[in-house]
Amino acid sequence: MTGRVIVITSGKGGVGKTTTSANIGTALAKAGYKVVLIDTDLGLRNLDLLLGLENRIVYTIVDVIEERCKLKQALVKDKKNPNLSLLAAAQTRDKTAVNAEQLKEICDTLKEENDFVLVDCPAGIEQGFQNAVAGASEAIVVTTPEMSAIRDADRIIGLLEAKEEIKSYKLLLNRVRPSLIKSNEMMSVDDVVEILSCPLVGIIPEDTGIITSTNKGEPIVNDENALAGKAYRNVAQRILGEEVPFLDLDEPKGFVAKIKNVFAKLKAKV
Amino acid sequence: MEKGFVENGFIIDLSDVKNTTQLVFELSSIMEHPDVKGKKICLKLGDLDLKQSQLLSIKALIESMDADIAFIDTNSEQTEASAISLGIIISELNEEEIPSITASSENDIKEESVQVKIEEIDDKKENLDKTIEVHADIEQSQNSPIETAEDIEDIYEEETTQEISEIIPREHFETNFETLAVNEGLVSKEEVSKYILLDTGDVLPVGVEENSINTEVLPTLYISQTLRSGQTVTYDGNILIIGDAHPGSEIVATGDITVWGILGGIAHAGSQGNVTSKVRALKLNAIQLRIAGLYARRNDTLNVPYVQKTNEFTPEEAKIEDGKIVIYKKLRRD
Repeated sequence: MTGRVIVITSGKGGVGKTTTSANIGTALAKAGYKVVLIDTDLGLRNLDLLLGLENRIVYTIVDVIEERCKLKQALVKDKKNPNLSLLAAAQTRDKTAVNAEQLKEICDTLKEENDFVLVDCPAGIEQGFQNAVAGASEAIVVTTPEMSAIRDADRIIGLLEAKEEIKSYKLLLNRVRPSLIKSNEMMSVDDVVEILSCPLVGIIPEDTGIITSTNKGEPIVNDENALAGKAYRNVAQRILGEEVPFLDLDEPKGFVAKIKNVFAKLKAKV
Repeated sequence: MEKGFVENGFIIDLSDVKNTTQLVFELSSIMEHPDVKGKKICLKLGDLDLKQSQLLSIKALIESMDADIAFIDTNSEQTEASAISLGIIISELNEEEIPSITASSENDIKEESVQVKIEEIDDKKENLDKTIEVHADIEQSQNSPIETAEDIEDIYEEETTQEISEIIPREHFETNFETLAVNEGLVSKEEVSKYILLDTGDVLPVGVEENSINTEVLPTLYISQTLRSGQTVTYDGNILIIGDAHPGSEIVATGDITVWGILGGIAHAGSQGNVTSKVRALKLNAIQLRIAGLYARRNDTLNVPYVQKTNEFTPEEAKIEDGKIVIYKKLRRD
């Protein structure tokens, strides 16, 4: 079997690459596919924390490249889902410990035995980005509805288009706040898509649950009730080729909200 | 205690001190006096035997106070030999050679102040003696004359064992936590095991075999700083860290690892197969504990990455027992 190698990148830091990698990976594994997550952010690794696997890491990607262990030994199985495994980055080394060819080789080996290989890319457009992209044939560009993140995403899309190996790239809009969009304080999803002219793979609402899930080491897709979790599950389904409508991000109207609405209307009449 | 002024200097009479510790103690107390600065010191050392290294450190002590050794007076052959090799002048202190203390009132005052200081030291010494008496049966052996070197050794041994047991009585160490699982998931007792062994297979480097070298004889690397994420310390010997080792840091030693603080990163003791190596910390919270070829991960229930600092310290020690990593905890005495 030949799996798909997808790189998750953004250019700008802090937009949610690692969170996206962890959640899409978990969602795909939950759907029954064999998934390997590769953390390529050497020296600033976080993906293991998000998955709660930090204490299980014995060998890292650098150990594999420097042949201190076999690739299989370095794969850390997820606590809950045996379909998901992680190839961790080395915390005590930097980006120069790995080169693009070595990473491509690892991706090529892994895609033979897995359905999906997701590569979590470091921020920036230097060596780390070049390494992460080397083995991938698809890309997901994560961005937030802010000018700086969009500018960086645009730069990244330009770099991806120049690469022959990348056959397709899609946009994932993270940390969207419908209330701010309504009050015209935040760019709308349509605005972002128009600026970047790039197909959309998902819209993830801002969710405070992400913070607790990161701290607990438990991806939010495991939480059935969280809106962000649902959004990530939808992204996974779209990656699998299914047509899923984008979530209605309008905040659910409870009883109190309805009453408030009524009062607001009455006030307007008066 | 005699002293006097000689050619812009002092004579310090230390002929009645019994050992080097006392000598250094008294000497440093005298040297603290501001008048000593820039003066030449004549040491009267009496019968005390000093090795070259000991004499050198005394010289360094005096020089650190901006003073110089003019000459020493000694009855011991060993001290004489050490002094010759260090180029220190040896001289008999004859009463005639000592210039009489000038009768100026200023000098008198100085002498008085020095005298007072020494009396204070004597008081302290008495106190020290008392504290020693409290927990020592050595008194008896002190009374009996020590004749052979063997006797001295015996007493020394007695003394040290006494002191150690005073600090950490064996019975106060107890296995509170145990890594009960040989492989992941096999917990045989109800209590939560703090660490669970990882099924890593053979992780020792090729050609390295298990051994049990006494770690006490290994050299020790002393580090006084906080280890942060991404920092690694590797040493062929023991490692002592005064400070915290944050998660993401890595400490690898061929001997023991001691952290005087919170150990949150990875600690690998006996990395070259030494199974007698130990890991100790004021708070043992390592994400992974590795001793020789055994790797254990922290139990997931204890994985709370954002709670790091604490005021509750329970000194713990991890070592290998029966093919498992066992953690000994120091109990509170209250």
